[in-house]
Amino acid sequence: MSAPAPSADDMKQWLKAVAAEQDRAAFGRLFQYFAPRIASLMERSGLSAAEAEEISQETMVAVWRKAALYDPAQAGVSTWVFTIARNMRIDLARKASRASAGVAALGELPMRLEASVEDMALANERDARVRRAMATLSPEQATVLRLSFFAEKPHAEIARELSLPLGTVKSRTRLAMAKIRAILEREP
Amino acid sequence: MINHHPSDFSLARLAGGTLGAGPRLVVATHLSGCPQCRRRLTSFEAAGGVMLDEAEPARLSAEAFQRALGRLGDADPRAEPQPRVLHPDLPPPLNAYEIGPWRQVGRGFQWRRLRLPESPGANVIMLRVAAGQPVPHHGHSGAEYTQVLSGSYSDALGRFGAGDCIELDEEVRHQPVVDPDGECVCLTALEGKLRLSGWIGRLIQPLIGI
Repeated sequence: MSAPAPSADDMKQWLKAVAAEQDRAAFGRLFQYFAPRIASLMERSGLSAAEAEEISQETMVAVWRKAALYDPAQAGVSTWVFTIARNMRIDLARKASRASAGVAALGELPMRLEASVEDMALANERDARVRRAMATLSPEQATVLRLSFFAEKPHAEIARELSLPLGTVKSRTRLAMAKIRAILEREP
Repeated sequence: MINHHPSDFSLARLAGGTLGAGPRLVVATHLSGCPQCRRRLTSFEAAGGVMLDEAEPARLSAEAFQRALGRLGDADPRAEPQPRVLHPDLPPPLNAYEIGPWRQVGRGFQWRRLRLPESPGANVIMLRVAAGQPVPHHGHSGAEYTQVLSGSYSDALGRFGAGDCIELDEEVRHQPVVDPDGECVCLTALEGKLRLSGWIGRLIQPLIGI
């Protein structure tokens, strides 16, 4: 029933087809893969199912509009889509506070238009390395990373999920994050 | 030479989108001048991409895709103009924000407040303190994020110069003193309230009102 996971190259091809030809079939494939996953992350960050679906809609419409700005030298498609969804989430919080301007302090990944082959290899290599690194995190490190990403009050939730006293959670978080970064940035 | 950087925890929260608006502006201003931290952020964003790939797909409503197709032709509500540079002397993205006038509080001590349209209640200020001048001894009810824009200061934790980003927990109380060789300008965001102590602090607190 579920289609095999698309490869990183598949996704780049689809995005390219959207950018060059407004290819709705290619957009459909991107939607089928990303929209349910974006909604899943948004629910994890505390949004209702309806809000999560709305963010996934807005993100995918933005993917359609911004497809030509995607730069494979900078990041994989999943990382790029993640940053758009993240900004939509921040924007939702802003709308809730009834303010007027967009997310000024943190853009999507800065995009350059021309990618050199070397750059592209670098971005692919980094994505692969981060993916391998994520698989080697301990359960505690994975929990700290996940809650730092998605919890509004990460220290309190880390304390709860790991059954740590609040007094020690900051030092444990610091320790775990230092290890996580060392793993993420370790050379292959 | 930058010696102090945002914590991994803050960069992860920035990558995930959970860092508050005030601290986000301070850390983003640091990033604009720190390629090393931009690389660190990229690693965390790539981790976000992996989490997206590995997320258990949620059930969307049956018409979700049709609804998205119907929205492709809509005018882009987010077609925001490039941020205007309001303060060419300041680094991005700080230079695009509305900043109130400098206000004098005591000798050699000025502050101005930033307006964050994305979070009107955020406590973000710029401080300008004269050479050799101490800042009132203070603590905070939440974390304090400071980016040194020019000059330098020292406190019990060390010496901090232009480009440095300093994160302090709410437990920390400190009394920064600006180094004698020139004035120091900082961008500071507070997650909670400032807690000033001493008579000068009690004098200033109501004036700053944060």
